[in-house]
Amino acid sequence: MDRDDILLKVNAAFAKILEHSNFNLEDTTTAADVDGWESVTHMLIINEIEQVFNIKFKLMDLMGMNNVGDLLRTITAELNTK
Amino acid sequence: MNFLERLKHTIQEYSTHNAFFIKETYFKYEVLNHEIIKIRQALQTRMTAKDNYVGLVVHNDIHTYAAIIALWLEGKAYIPISPDAPAVRNTAILKSTDTTFVIDVAQTSVYEANFTVLNTSYLEFQDFQLQESTFNPDAIAYILFTSGSTGTPKGVSISFDNLEGLITAIKADKAHDIYPEDRCLQMFELTFDFSLVTFLYPLLHGACVYTIPKDQIKYLYVFKLIVQHKLTYLVMTPSIINYLQPYFNEIHAEAIRYCCFGAAPLLHDVLRKWENCIPNATVYNSYGPTEYTVTTSYYKLSGTTHLQTKNGVIAIGKPMQSIDAIIVDENHNEIPNNTPGELCLAGRQLTTGYWKNPEQNAKAFFEASHEHQTKRFYKTGDLCIKADSGVFIFIGRKDFQVKIQGYRIELGEIEFQARKIITDLNFTVLDVDLDTGDKTLLLVVESAIGFDDAPVLTHLKTTLPDYMVPKHTMCIAELPHNRNGKLDRGQLRTYFKNKSNG
Repeated sequence: MDRDDILLKVNAAFAKILEHSNFNLEDTTTAADVDGWESVTHMLIINEIEQVFNIKFKLMDLMGMNNVGDLLRTITAELNTK
Repeated sequence: MNFLERLKHTIQEYSTHNAFFIKETYFKYEVLNHEIIKIRQALQTRMTAKDNYVGLVVHNDIHTYAAIIALWLEGKAYIPISPDAPAVRNTAILKSTDTTFVIDVAQTSVYEANFTVLNTSYLEFQDFQLQESTFNPDAIAYILFTSGSTGTPKGVSISFDNLEGLITAIKADKAHDIYPEDRCLQMFELTFDFSLVTFLYPLLHGACVYTIPKDQIKYLYVFKLIVQHKLTYLVMTPSIINYLQPYFNEIHAEAIRYCCFGAAPLLHDVLRKWENCIPNATVYNSYGPTEYTVTTSYYKLSGTTHLQTKNGVIAIGKPMQSIDAIIVDENHNEIPNNTPGELCLAGRQLTTGYWKNPEQNAKAFFEASHEHQTKRFYKTGDLCIKADSGVFIFIGRKDFQVKIQGYRIELGEIEFQARKIITDLNFTVLDVDLDTGDKTLLLVVESAIGFDDAPVLTHLKTTLPDYMVPKHTMCIAELPHNRNGKLDRGQLRTYFKNKSNG
């Protein structure tokens, strides 16, 4: 799965949990840039992404995620280990 | 020695110890003390004896914590207001208390137009001796505003004696003791009274308080503090473990020796799994309304083989020493054990009442004879049963008050604001359960042709704190009603759940 495909699914996961799509996810996007992305919705988005990609993040990886770029890299790494 | 004298003593005795870890920086007790002195000097220079209540814009920084202690040492009360809540709501809160003075670290405070603002971020140390104030137990230590069903927040005033009562009651059970080497979690915003336990109690014992930066995902940051800083003493909401649950197999925190939950129902099955992550900890559940100064009861969970639960929710335990807790019927008569009724509380920690709100005070407090004495009781609105063991079990709310992220919310206050925008449709706001066991708010609008929720959500965001703005909206052709003609919230919740899962 290439990066664009991953981003497409990540966008859908954000839109589903946040119930809007007024955002443009880029590598540098953080929670502060997206309306409604905060502690609770972050955990729900992570859970949704795990289900969509059929992967399981490690807590240590989640702890180190600072922006969408980190998220996409971690998804790619998890997909590569499958 | 009262708690403020003890606090002063601890700050001196542990001056070289770390007092706070805030945004990846340690602050020693001597730094905290320096900040307290600077703020006190400014207060003594600029405030009059009439200024007893001070608005405090609560940021996650050393200045804000120092300001609380400085105000107390001056015998003043703080009224915490969130920098993230709409300024118009905060201003209305402050004006209702006749406050003229606000403390804020922001360079340009939005409160300058209406109040005298003391900026605590650039205060200079002045060369003059502080005047010591006398400790007045009846003076107000803080006023917290909680959601009100009529659209106006209710102020709960807590005196220094109420606080002294809380600390005395906690200290009576050594199991809750904190030691100077402890590293304690402070995950609460200072507008939330649970923060009193999580910052004041550690400071009274020379321990270090670890806070959560606002720009962090709190569940993951708590884990980071546990792993990287080996926290030893946790007081937190159940939501932390609810959201960390999928990753429990990665958590093995041997340093944690104490873990206490509160502010929301604790689920039995999650708790039992969490206990495996913290093998050396003694675990408690706790309970307490703002009106009874933070904490009323504890329930020790570690080592209890048959935990008392109701619908999978763990009991709230036995009241602390010298607290009168009774279960009553509609006429304020005590009812037998194992019978559901309203939990009512009397004792030293009980607030003097809602701020300038005689109508609410008449509803929420009553006098009754208990153990041969006439006592003033507070009606918590929480339905409980008292088991024969003396343990109290929470069953549910009596009214439309719900808890979201630990904050008490009157759904009526949200509907009051929403009604200003939704003028021609039926709607309701209700709490719904997420799969994690936490609650979220849902706005349901009756419309067969759809509904644009943007205007009402924009209005709610500008008039209410974020935790009161519904995170979900749903349209339904016809709102369901039960046989008595009342709105059927249960059916709406089921409909929302099916819609979310489908």
